[in-house]
Amino acid sequence: MKLKNLLIAVLAISVLGSGLNGFSEVTAADRENCLMCHKYPNMARIGEDGLERNYYVDEHIFLNSLHGEVGCRECHPYIKKFPHDPVTEKVDCANECHIKPPFAEKNFSHREIIDVFKSSEHEKKAEDSPLMKQSKPDCKYCHLNPLYKRVDENIISFGETLDRCLNCHQKKGVAEAYLHMTHRLRHKTSRDSREIVSLCAENCHGDEQLMQKLGASAAAVEAVETYRESIHGKMTALGSEKAADCISCHASSLIHDIYDKDNPKSTINKDNLLTLCKNCHAKINPYFVRIAVHPSIKEPHNPVLFLISNMVLRTILYGTVFGLMGLLFLESYRRKKDGIGMKIKSGSSWRNTKGLK
Amino acid sequence: MTAAEEALNAVHGGQTDVEGYFTYVSGVGYIPRDIYKYVKSNPFGDLPRYSVHIVIQHILIFTTFIALAATGIALHYSDLFWAPYVIRLFGGIDTSQLIHRSAAFVMIGASVYHILTIVGSTAQKILKKEFDIRRTQVPLPKDLFDLIHDIKYFLGLTPHRPKMEKFMYKQKIHYLAILWGSFVLISAGTALLFPEHIALLWPFDPAFLQDLARIMHADEAIMALIIIAFWHLSNVHFVPGRFPAQWTVFTGKITREHQLEEHFLEYLRNLSEIPEEREYMRSLLAELGFAEREGSLDETRP
Repeated sequence: MKLKNLLIAVLAISVLGSGLNGFSEVTAADRENCLMCHKYPNMARIGEDGLERNYYVDEHIFLNSLHGEVGCRECHPYIKKFPHDPVTEKVDCANECHIKPPFAEKNFSHREIIDVFKSSEHEKKAEDSPLMKQSKPDCKYCHLNPLYKRVDENIISFGETLDRCLNCHQKKGVAEAYLHMTHRLRHKTSRDSREIVSLCAENCHGDEQLMQKLGASAAAVEAVETYRESIHGKMTALGSEKAADCISCHASSLIHDIYDKDNPKSTINKDNLLTLCKNCHAKINPYFVRIAVHPSIKEPHNPVLFLISNMVLRTILYGTVFGLMGLLFLESYRRKKDGIGMKIKSGSSWRNTKGLK
Repeated sequence: MTAAEEALNAVHGGQTDVEGYFTYVSGVGYIPRDIYKYVKSNPFGDLPRYSVHIVIQHILIFTTFIALAATGIALHYSDLFWAPYVIRLFGGIDTSQLIHRSAAFVMIGASVYHILTIVGSTAQKILKKEFDIRRTQVPLPKDLFDLIHDIKYFLGLTPHRPKMEKFMYKQKIHYLAILWGSFVLISAGTALLFPEHIALLWPFDPAFLQDLARIMHADEAIMALIIIAFWHLSNVHFVPGRFPAQWTVFTGKITREHQLEEHFLEYLRNLSEIPEEREYMRSLLAELGFAEREGSLDETRP
């Protein structure tokens, strides 16, 4: 009996100990001692624009994020002395950092994917208007270094996830490691489809006035609205991981290769639609891809459907509902007046009917 | 020709608006039009109305309808605040999609079952030479006259309701609406479920057909939901005399007073088919002082 109690105590202490160990890991990674200053939540200054900027780093959040392993000066290499001067440079995600990813010979860098991004529609170009330049996103607009959500492994295939890993990691070694062990060690995580839609929609593609000012086509101005009207949009809005979000169609597994639909490299180019839709719709044919993914029944696009939906069906609906309900109220009024009660009481629902006519 | 049939033919022979207050049935007596105010009724039903097949079909249809409407409406109004809660109630969007499709499958099965029942029993009646189109859901000119007559009654312009068959104008409107609605919902739903195949059916403009299916499916469903929730339910369960519920949905039987009030001609058929009912009506008439008085009353108002 005593032995059993002792065993339980040892087990409890070791469980507790491993928990504490998990917390103590957090403080170990600040190799450059930046937190000496940046650990203070009120560490801030008022910038030239008059806005207060806060320089606090919550180490617990940072160390649990994707970049938790990366030292501060890997991304902020311009900091050479301590305490440092005001920072004027922006972080360049194409930096090479002093971390070798698994199975790799070279130091890690986001260079390759940034090259893809630079060829895409979202890169700032010389001929762009100042508003356009201001509106185009940089890396950090989408990549906020968030804690991603868990996704159902059964929904997203291994191959699909692996394709994304290989955007940055080399295939040799990583593919095997991923297929054999990684998925058993930790759960697959990803950005939620809803988050992707709101990233694209908020501030830019969903802002119809801004899109008009930027000279977008009529279809592009309404793209978010029409997407939300579609079955993909509705499923995504309700939390589906299967339905297509923006980048499911507008980019390949490279994610960043978003082009205008007239560009032959674009996934949504006419010639590439069959391959694109086949990712989800197995029994595909050339007619299927002509179905509108951003459907609109507004008047200029689709006058026939607009008429059917807004005139014919509405009239039938209101006519039927109000006609039948009117008849119902009229009927109940008269029958009530004629002496009917609500319920059947002692065999009859008719009250006060003494003597036949 | 029996007495009941004679009375039926008199009504169908264009005399609906000049209605006789007394209806003579030989062996029973002169039945006044407002006899339904004096009969005894069992709330669970007295007279046969629906076969067990129809009861099963109705139960299948309304249970699947609730599941279909809840999952479908939440998807259609996905941008409204309550939609995610309804979807969560059904176990997430993927599960609710599966529920919607399974329920649709069961509902289509129930529809096929209904068609088989109707075709089978109609064929049986034709073979036995018992078929009478006036007893079916087929709309006839009399239904229009009945509607006009009933509106007159509602407005107080005439003292009594029309003498109607087993299915009155309301039921015929509703039945036709269900036929049309099922056709639209099933065909449009199929187009939404198998877009690849439907695109091949209309290769000239697959986008148009798909959008049409999308609009028609949603619109027809919303219309069905509004009509069922506001009109059908109150008509059947909440109006005076039917409250708190009519049990016909489970028992397949109708109360005597309801049959006499809204389906008087069907009641006359009940009299010739059910001897107990004939006996009941004869003794009730004697009790009320309407015992058979040969020649004292004719078919017109006294």
